[in-house]
Amino acid sequence: MSGRTPDFYVAPSEAPPSRRPPVTTIGPLGWARANLFSSPVNSIATVITLGLVVWFIAGFLSWAIRSAQWGVVTNNLRLIGSGLYDRREIWRVELATAILVLLTGLSLGIWGRVARAAFIAVLVTLGIILVVPIAAANIPQPTIHALIEPRKAPSDFVFVGYKGDTVRFALAPQTDLAALDEPMIGFVEMQSRAEWSTQARQARSGELDLAAYNLVVSLRLIDSGGRTVTTPDGLAEVRYGADEPGGALEVTLPADGWYVLKVTRDDEANGERDNNQGYAWLRIEGVELFSSQEGQTATREEEFGAPPEIERPLYAEEKAYRFEGTRSFAEFINLQIAPFFERIAMPLVLGTALFVNGWIIGTLGKRERAVRRWTLLGWLVAAPVILIVLRGFGGSRALPLVSTSMWGGLLLTLLLTIVGITASFPLGVALALGRRSDLPVIKWTCTLLIETIRGVPLITILFMAKLIVPFFWSGLSNIDLTIRMMIGLTLFSAAYLAENVRGGLQIIPYGQIEAARALGLNPFLTTTFIVLPQALRAVIPAIVGQFISLFKDTSLVAVVGLFELVGIVDTIVSGQPIYRPYQREAYFFIAIVYFVISYAMSDVSRRLETSGAGSLRK
Amino acid sequence: MDNGNSNEPIIVCRDVNKWFGNFHVLKDINLEVQPQEVVVIIGPSGSGKSTFIRCINRLEEHQEGQIIVDGIELSHDVRNIATIRSEIGMVFQQFNLFPHLTVMQNVSLAPRYVRRQPRRNAEEVALQLLARVGIPEQAHKYPGQLSGGQQQRVAIARALAMQPKIMLFDEPTSALDPEMIKEVLDVMKELARSGMTMLVVTHEMGFAREVADRIVLFDEGRIVEMGSPEHFFTNPQHERTRLFLSQIL
Repeated sequence: MSGRTPDFYVAPSEAPPSRRPPVTTIGPLGWARANLFSSPVNSIATVITLGLVVWFIAGFLSWAIRSAQWGVVTNNLRLIGSGLYDRREIWRVELATAILVLLTGLSLGIWGRVARAAFIAVLVTLGIILVVPIAAANIPQPTIHALIEPRKAPSDFVFVGYKGDTVRFALAPQTDLAALDEPMIGFVEMQSRAEWSTQARQARSGELDLAAYNLVVSLRLIDSGGRTVTTPDGLAEVRYGADEPGGALEVTLPADGWYVLKVTRDDEANGERDNNQGYAWLRIEGVELFSSQEGQTATREEEFGAPPEIERPLYAEEKAYRFEGTRSFAEFINLQIAPFFERIAMPLVLGTALFVNGWIIGTLGKRERAVRRWTLLGWLVAAPVILIVLRGFGGSRALPLVSTSMWGGLLLTLLLTIVGITASFPLGVALALGRRSDLPVIKWTCTLLIETIRGVPLITILFMAKLIVPFFWSGLSNIDLTIRMMIGLTLFSAAYLAENVRGGLQIIPYGQIEAARALGLNPFLTTTFIVLPQALRAVIPAIVGQFISLFKDTSLVAVVGLFELVGIVDTIVSGQPIYRPYQREAYFFIAIVYFVISYAMSDVSRRLETSGAGSLRK
Repeated sequence: MDNGNSNEPIIVCRDVNKWFGNFHVLKDINLEVQPQEVVVIIGPSGSGKSTFIRCINRLEEHQEGQIIVDGIELSHDVRNIATIRSEIGMVFQQFNLFPHLTVMQNVSLAPRYVRRQPRRNAEEVALQLLARVGIPEQAHKYPGQLSGGQQQRVAIARALAMQPKIMLFDEPTSALDPEMIKEVLDVMKELARSGMTMLVVTHEMGFAREVADRIVLFDEGRIVEMGSPEHFFTNPQHERTRLFLSQIL
């Protein structure tokens, strides 16, 4: 260019073709450059943040996989899911869930658009949940350790075995101090653990001489019928004494059922029992600990019968053992994840099948008015039907009463949330419209209600609902605590909703109302068709945000005596002694549950925003 | 309520006065509009012309005087107001289309819910009107996807859907790009030719000269001069009129 602006310029008749922008300004490279590394300060911040994120996630995963015990969740799924709901009537909760899942599938098929990515993600997740337990079956069980003591009579180890399993019983005398420092990885019998800590301390301080080991121990495996199981070589019993202090008995089990490893200590070999010295670990490999949960015990006894009656049994059950050492990832999958997936696999598969069926019917029948009508009717009818099915009637045989104070866990949380949302939405809109009314009485009443409720913490409202309302109206003191909590939550949510909706109402340009008036629409029609649709659409983020808050605020009813999700987990970890050390795992699990549901609600919010006329919005 | 006699004026305003608080915005307005007449109202901003035509369909209330539309006097009686409004269609400067509804829904909403017409009929009529204003293919778009000129034409179709006897236009082209003004004015001209009674507040002098039966000049709340287009543009009498025209033409 010459540098001089020309006096006269005419563009060529054809515009030059559009070109692609330079590479580093678009695509992932361009994104990274623009957002992460756009300036020296940004770059440093990016590196630091990435470092923190990696460190945090690595630390968390290390805890979660290696040392956390997720059994507290797996073993208490029923409590977490429906609280103290009568165990024998759980089918009613399942029926209610089935109805809801079917209706949701139908609705999504008719009115929703499911992104292909979401569909695939769900299928993949389901596949993983089904496959993992099967794959995990091939991962070897951790070793089980039980201590054999010099003067205490040894217990016989009782376990359930399966045909074809190879089990190995190893006797490992502890004869030198070096053995003390070997880490034990696997399940350790809890009393053994306690005893061994004491002895190890004495051995280190010199009070106890480990080398003076002289125990004589025999091991023999018998099946549920009392017959001895032999090794492939024909060996029935192994005996360890002075010449061969330690060794192993390795057997392949011939059938499914109960087995007893008889552990005998020959005291006469040393003269008398008080002459025995030394400690040995019995290491058992290839045996799976069984759960002592009631439902599982019943199933097990159905399958294999009652455990054999013996004098001093040491059962291979979970609650008698504690896992020591850090697990490998394979063990994590096998011990922690697989049982959890196994528990949820069946209900999940059924639920998904129902959902997909509903979705297919909905998609195919999208245009049919009958399908739409029946689905809407279904929703209307479902609410009271579900409540009746869940509650039942006093004196009924088919549907005995399960009072709402027994409802708990996720069931109660969802119930409070759904009722809260459904009831507070119309009430909130009414309050908002009332506050903007021209009639002073309505206006001041609504304002008073809104400001009073907003001025008080939710927990105060819940306490008032529980304690003060019956005090004022004696006729109301018999109302279910659950219903009182629903009323409290509804009022609270409605007041906040009213303000959100009022904000939306304020942004409607007055010209809209003028145009509606000019067309002859009366105030009711104007509000219904012109004002509310626009106002509500404008504040969808705020409204759904309020609903998400409500979902999490339901946890406060735990303070008033209802056991929803947080309350029931609290009961589990503080009430049952064996689960007391596992608070982190339990609370982390319900944090995930809360997160998943809240995120789903946020997603629905986003979809609502971009539907219809909102698709024009950014 | 009916008006069979074509000599009876369809709009009668006698000594109409209006105040906004203490501000006297309309002073002793006297005006009669015959059926099928096209009256164009011009004047500087703040002169009360928009306020005046908004009084005709009771979007604003007058404090003194009488406004009688098609034999019904405008008062505080709500039933009268509803009846009047369904006979008067209004087109606004800012279009005021309903953004959350499609064009088709915008046009058919009032006939369906005020006149209780079944959906199919209302939509048929809506399509005919959209064809009349020249945009039948836009029926399923949202107002946000249309240009200004198209939106104003939808607004006109929406007002026409109620089959009004009178159409009020409040500066219909003032918010439009010059390129789009023509398409809206063409629709208004066709409307005038078809015999609609129209009250138009506008600055488009070309339109006034071509289509108006009568031109009214407002200034500071009162009618300064009123006459036929020939009278107005070739021989204005009042001082204020001459001043105004000299600035605008």
